[in-house]
Amino acid sequence: MSNELLKVDDLKVRFKTDEGYVSTVNGVSFSVEQGETLAIVGESGSGKSVTSLALMGILPANGEIYEGAITFEDKDLRSLSKKEYRKMRGDDIAMIFQEPMTALNPVFTIGYQLRETLIVHNNMNKEQAHKKGIEMLETVGIPDSDRVMGRFPHQLSGGMRQRVMIAMALSCNPKLLIADEPTTALDVTIQAQILTLLRNLKKNSNTSIIIITHDLGVVAELADRVVVMYAGEVVEVAPIQELFDNPRHPYTRGLISSIPKIHDVVDELYSIEGTVPNPSNMPTGCKFHPRCPLADIECTKVHPELEYISEKHAKRCIKVKG
Amino acid sequence: MQSTEERVIMEVIDLKKHFDLTKGFIKKTHSKIKAVDGLNFQVYKGETLGIVGESGCGKSTTGQLMLGLLDATEGHIYFQNEDISAMSQEELRKARRDLQVIFQDPYSSLNPRMTVEQIIGEPLVVHGLASGKELKEQVRELMKLVGLREHQMKLYPHEFSGGQRQRIGIARALALKPKVIVCDEAVSALDVSIQAQILNLLKKLQKEMNLTYIFIAHGLPAVRHISDRIGVMYLGKMVELADRNELFEHPLHPYTYALLDSVPIPDPKLRKEHQLIKGEIPSPINPPSGCPFHPRCPFATEKCKIEVPEYREILPNHFVACHYPLLQEDTNVLPDSGISKVK
Ligand SMILES: Nc1ncnc2c1ncn2[C@@H]1O[C@H](COP(=O)(O)OP(=O)(O)OP(=O)(O)O)[C@@H](O)[C@H]1O
Ligand SMILES: Nc1ncnc2c1ncn2[C@@H]1O[C@H](COP(=O)(O)OP(=O)(O)OP(=O)(O)O)[C@@H](O)[C@H]1O
Ligand code: SF4
Ligand code: SF4
Ligand SMILES: [Mg+2]
Ligand SMILES: [Mg+2]
Repeated sequence: MSNELLKVDDLKVRFKTDEGYVSTVNGVSFSVEQGETLAIVGESGSGKSVTSLALMGILPANGEIYEGAITFEDKDLRSLSKKEYRKMRGDDIAMIFQEPMTALNPVFTIGYQLRETLIVHNNMNKEQAHKKGIEMLETVGIPDSDRVMGRFPHQLSGGMRQRVMIAMALSCNPKLLIADEPTTALDVTIQAQILTLLRNLKKNSNTSIIIITHDLGVVAELADRVVVMYAGEVVEVAPIQELFDNPRHPYTRGLISSIPKIHDVVDELYSIEGTVPNPSNMPTGCKFHPRCPLADIECTKVHPELEYISEKHAKRCIKVKG
Repeated sequence: MQSTEERVIMEVIDLKKHFDLTKGFIKKTHSKIKAVDGLNFQVYKGETLGIVGESGCGKSTTGQLMLGLLDATEGHIYFQNEDISAMSQEELRKARRDLQVIFQDPYSSLNPRMTVEQIIGEPLVVHGLASGKELKEQVRELMKLVGLREHQMKLYPHEFSGGQRQRIGIARALALKPKVIVCDEAVSALDVSIQAQILNLLKKLQKEMNLTYIFIAHGLPAVRHISDRIGVMYLGKMVELADRNELFEHPLHPYTYALLDSVPIPDPKLRKEHQLIKGEIPSPINPPSGCPFHPRCPFATEKCKIEVPEYREILPNHFVACHYPLLQEDTNVLPDSGISKVK
């Protein structure tokens, strides 16, 4: 595919812990096209954040990629030096986090931090950077932006900080924006503002976006395509409408049926029984089998491959056909 | 059918909670956070009353007040016709057996050094209601009730997943056979699939034990699912309260309308532009004059900046605090509501 921006192939990440190595991302593959919004969904602990940190080259000290390839515009990211990776992060790939304070420095003003980013990555002088900074704050819907430039992060509300972080991430016109739960900590009216912002970003500048979330509402609003993760693996990949109309993997089906529908009140919600397995004690065979309504003895023995059932739709299950 | 009085299990009248805020070492400044600023509502026996609203609007404070865990600055809270705010310590202790709470974060609300058996049994021990074999039997019953297994009795909280910890919290809350349970963001931290398990469990228990729930949450789909009636709070005030379907289908307050419109709908076919409301919630230290929503409200007039809209029942069982509610053409407003149909 010619317009493929990012390709992740069989990515495996492990952490060194007291109990030895624990592998929490177990062969994840997906790609992101130019201008595409890809959503990654899955339960807590399924490896969404770890995958994105691995892409950004910012895994915590005890974590490492031990297999797989990450290709960004024909560049092999795993072979980059620390310095090259850092430059890449400012220029081409940017990330926003659930908690904006992880990305903002509490001792510098918003203006200082925005200017620095612009000076380093866009070769601007201080004055140009200041003007551009104000412009960026306006783009993300911050009123009174020249005054906000002089404030410190803690003087802003959560929603404002989130927007400042987005402004900072966007200030270098990244080709890929990775947003890890960007609205989870925000109120719904503020969330709606941020989602609209992300949607406009895609429309106006053709930026590719990976959005990580557990909220299927957010997915339905933003994504073109969805990757569903379970226990460190991709269990289903499908275009957005296809995923909601025709989910194939039993986990995806369960997930979609468990959401309370705001317009369709039922007496009892569908629920997936049991809980997510612990990464240091994974079930044999299909990792979903202890919770799967379709599981049989074969599922406890065979580890299913991710299988494409049509050009764009893949599932990891041996029982569900087609 | 019961009369209204018989149906009411709790009633809140002109309830206020203002926190004092002292800032600065050298030049001290005093101000007040109006966390709860004049609430009036009733809770019916056996119902689930949902309370929604954005962060900081006073939901948890309201819950704490209703449990007698915070002293009110002004106003009254009646539980079975007795004023909690006027009770002696001893009376309050008794009342608290009937008023329990389930918190958002099962992590921090469970003592990490106690086994599940001790955690669930503690309220029974504290109130001297059971000991020895009988205690164990009751704990076993409670664990079964919430879907925990007997062999898990001796385990510690960290050995459980988030959803299971929430079950422990629920079992503990049920130990004293309470009448009312305040669920403060009880499912908010859980994964969707686990959320569904807990919501189903809460519904089942309500039926079996004739419980009344005050269900506080910011996640609207979950609130709609579980509640019979829903109240919407904004800056320490109740701005609207109605039956859940009525509220979702015919919101009368512009804020409720905006809040509902902001919820992302999990169906890509229904993708739409949100009617964004501008700005963010103002600080409860210095709330706006008049209608607290006026700086963000698309319908605000001069009157809204000056006059506080009265909270009143303008349709049967539908309360709202707005000078210009979003009435439909054919709506029959109550004659004494002070609202005329023609705006
Ligand atoms: N620094 C670390 N050391 C050891 N294990 C880790 C570390 N960071 C993450 N993990 C483990 O990796 C697994 C995947 O975690 P990850 O943060 O990617 O989950 P997630 O899908 O983002 O979940 P959530 O929805 O809760 O954010 C988890 O089991 C987690 O405990
Ligand atoms: N003990 C306290 N001292 C001072 N201020 C407080 C105290 N408790 C709460 N507040 C303030 O009162 C207001 C209401 O808080 P409350 O916790 O009731 O909100 P909430 O609706 O539960 O919000 P959230 O959705 O974030 O849980 C907030 O501005 C909060 O900062
Ligand atoms: S392989 Fe078996 S256990 Fe796994 S999802 Fe398919 S049916 Fe369920
Ligand atoms: S009283 Fe006025 S400002 Fe307040 S919600 Fe109604 S129309 Fe809007
Ligand atoms: Mg995460
Ligand atoms: Mg709260």
